[in-house]
Amino acid sequence: MKRKLKGRGVAASWYGIARTATIDRAGAWAELDDGGTAKVVTGVTEIGEGILTLLSQVAAEELGVRPEQVTIGDNDTARSPEAAHAGATRQTYMIGNSVALACREARSRLFDEMSKVWDVPVDDLRSFDGFLWAENTNKRITMEEAVDTCKKRGVVPVGSGSFTAHGTGLDPVDGTGSPWQAYVFGTQVAEVEVDTITGEVQVLGIWAAHDVGRAINPRGVEGQIEGGVVQGLGQALMEDYQTQDGHAVTHGFAKYILPTSLDVPQINSIVVEDPDPLSPLGAKGIGEPALVPTAPAVMNAIYDAIGVRIRDLPATPEKVLAALQEKRREAQTAA
Amino acid sequence: MPDLNIDFTVNGRKVARKVDPSRRLLDLLRDDLTLTGTKEGCGAGECGTCSVFVDGKLVKSCLMPAAKAQGADIETVEGLAAPGELTPVQRAFHKTGASQCGFCIPGMVMAATSALRENPNAGIEEIKERMGGNICRCTGYTKIFEAVEIARDVIAGKLPQTALNQDGAASSFIGHNTRRLDAPSKVSGRLKYAGDMDMQGMLHMQVLRSPHAHARIVKIDTSRAEALPGVHCVITSEDVPGTDGFGVFVHDQPIMARGKVRHVGEAVAAVAADTVRIAREATRLIEVEYEELPGLYDPEDALKEGAPVIHDYAADNVVKHIPVRKGDIEKGFAEADIILTDDFSTQQVEHAYLEPEAGIAYVDHDDVVTVISPSQNITHHRHMLSHIIDKPINKVRFIMSPVGGGFGGKEDMIYQGMLALAAMKTHRPIKLVFTREESFIASAKRHPSRTHYKMGLTRDGRITAIEFSMLSDGGAYGMSSEGVMRKAAILSCGPYEIHNLKVDTRVVYTNNTPSGAFRTFGGMQAQFATESMMDMAAEKLGLDPFEIRRRNMMKAGSLTHTQQKLNSASIGTVLEAAEKACRWESGAPTVRGETRGDLGGPDTRQPCTLGARFAEAATQIEKAKVAS
Repeated sequence: MKRKLKGRGVAASWYGIARTATIDRAGAWAELDDGGTAKVVTGVTEIGEGILTLLSQVAAEELGVRPEQVTIGDNDTARSPEAAHAGATRQTYMIGNSVALACREARSRLFDEMSKVWDVPVDDLRSFDGFLWAENTNKRITMEEAVDTCKKRGVVPVGSGSFTAHGTGLDPVDGTGSPWQAYVFGTQVAEVEVDTITGEVQVLGIWAAHDVGRAINPRGVEGQIEGGVVQGLGQALMEDYQTQDGHAVTHGFAKYILPTSLDVPQINSIVVEDPDPLSPLGAKGIGEPALVPTAPAVMNAIYDAIGVRIRDLPATPEKVLAALQEKRREAQTAA
Repeated sequence: MPDLNIDFTVNGRKVARKVDPSRRLLDLLRDDLTLTGTKEGCGAGECGTCSVFVDGKLVKSCLMPAAKAQGADIETVEGLAAPGELTPVQRAFHKTGASQCGFCIPGMVMAATSALRENPNAGIEEIKERMGGNICRCTGYTKIFEAVEIARDVIAGKLPQTALNQDGAASSFIGHNTRRLDAPSKVSGRLKYAGDMDMQGMLHMQVLRSPHAHARIVKIDTSRAEALPGVHCVITSEDVPGTDGFGVFVHDQPIMARGKVRHVGEAVAAVAADTVRIAREATRLIEVEYEELPGLYDPEDALKEGAPVIHDYAADNVVKHIPVRKGDIEKGFAEADIILTDDFSTQQVEHAYLEPEAGIAYVDHDDVVTVISPSQNITHHRHMLSHIIDKPINKVRFIMSPVGGGFGGKEDMIYQGMLALAAMKTHRPIKLVFTREESFIASAKRHPSRTHYKMGLTRDGRITAIEFSMLSDGGAYGMSSEGVMRKAAILSCGPYEIHNLKVDTRVVYTNNTPSGAFRTFGGMQAQFATESMMDMAAEKLGLDPFEIRRRNMMKAGSLTHTQQKLNSASIGTVLEAAEKACRWESGAPTVRGETRGDLGGPDTRQPCTLGARFAEAATQIEKAKVAS
């Protein structure tokens, strides 16, 4: 047997978007502000995934300004509308859509005034990248001028939005129910190299294909996939919180081993867009789903490489070696 | 030991300070000089968030005594560029989206800067090695590597400065790689996380935690602690004015242990004092008399007849059981040509966000009890706290501070109640920052699981029935266990249309560290088992693993495991996308790694062998010799 053996494995997965088996909801307020800028306030935002930037893109698109001209208010239960919580792969879907709805209302206030000022049908008005214009006319002004005009007519262009996702509870006896209105699917392939002397597994490549509905910020989507894959890899190969009679024996990073820069495979993200038909943005989500198939893909790849099936995570070098020894013993017995 | 007078340089400015010799360089920078861009992620030199330059060398400031700064030239993340400006490394991080939660990022920027200062031509292997002492939990490092390579090439003049700019504008901001708006504050260390915040008159909290996994609290005597000069209040569950109890689904956890402790590390009492040190000393003066109880450490034991009861309301120790039934499994198994049974297990996993739990509470001018913390669920927290402190909702306010990584681990209100209570008692702002060890032992983990699996298939690879039974260890409190079991059950059998199935997920109380929400919420534990079974079935039937999945996958019109009709299902598209992208060589999964022709492509990395930085240095020395 060669010392280092390579193999590949695949795993598929699925996931539901937003809170499970319940009616999820999120609210937001928006205002087209002086100077062609915008304010958006919603109850919950950034936990690192990039939602602030995504919401700014959504607001910019809906209002006709630029993302950097959007200010997102602080997450504050006493100063902002309820948007529930930051989790459940719900930020883009729930809060993104509620911000889109709030911005549409604010924009329509502005457009209503401008259509009267210019005497053009409101449907002919467009705004993008700091400008507002009427199609097929030479009427074109900056958003700063448009907001100023609107306010001088006594109208502050504000809006609010509430977005709902209709999930139903599960029947307590047979579990029937419609827990989510949007689902995503994913598939990952892992390529590994196993050192049969040390038992160490290195993941060399991951191909991660995920449906996200619509990628509002493709780089952000990749970032979520890469982060999810590496957390999945950690769980597959090294992370293990252990207790002895309830006492933690891995209570620091010296004993609780996490993936570092040296453990990271080349991650090839393939972003699939199957738009959600039930929401304004068409986007679904990626935060949690990215992690689901990694560990089984790696275990299937280890099997492909060395013929050893790891059923108990993580596949530490000790476990891989023990399984290899067991396999050799079985082979000898059979012979 | 008396304080020492030391003189040193920080970011080019001379500084003279009197320091307590027991303090670390990290404390000196953060507390005395308010240079909070340098973070404390572990306090043990293991994570790299506190990286600074000392006389030009990358140093973990949590490991260096402050007194050793005498005469040193120290550079922190704040000193890398003038205010309002960013270095090429920082701009590259901004461009590629290398910062997510941002907590590791100042340290990462320092390590990247160090790598390129040490070797401006460093290759990717050397860069990875030089950054190996810095942990990132969000990004998967990939965008960080990309950033360092761009920065290297811009600094070396191989790429134009414009390579650091944002991708060009499109006709829409949807689908555009807009740079992260919060990145400049993260790469420069300017963003204030809760632990970086300071308020006038602020007191510091420390928590006394249980040394026992399961014990009755006979008596708590706080008098000695209260008498310690500098202590402003000592709180226990006795001080809770309202209905104590929090949890995501069942409110079974008091903000501090009430009557008994159920896991090691559970909060028992808390002290607010002028300094962290006084507060810590006071916790040691609290006398708690415990009567140890038999503990439960294995979920199977929790279900046994006569097992110790962890919570009175749940005499059988079951937090939740979720059943899902569809079709007729007996009929399904009877139709099968092969039946596979197996068992799988997954471990308890720590979120390991780099930002340990932290928060500040105060009572404002309108008598609003306000808590600032990196909570993932401020909405629910304010509801629960209003019951606990017996105030109307509009007198309870939660502000979500920048979250330095959450992944579900910051959904539980495990410390905000104590902060609020102490603020109410003292009418002073109270701050608490967990140590890494506290974060490990007191916060929820991913549920460890054991799954028994039985799958029936026809010879052509169609699944006829699945029986799936999962037992999870919920630990001492309910937290998100109920929801995790629900999601695990709903997703259990994967993206396949299964006509006959019987799924049960159960979670029980034990005296282990509680389990709770963690990215995938039960989805990965369940699907790890399913996806392992799919490959084992494919091998038995001689089918390609993509093919067996296609034969069973959900389609438009399929009924899910909970009998929801799907209008569409993109699984076919993603299977094909992955298969094509990786140039998959088809065949049954029969340990054919050695003979595969699709391995080692340009879309994989080389196996890691340590020493890249020495190898490259040696090559350069050789080149220099030849040149001379």
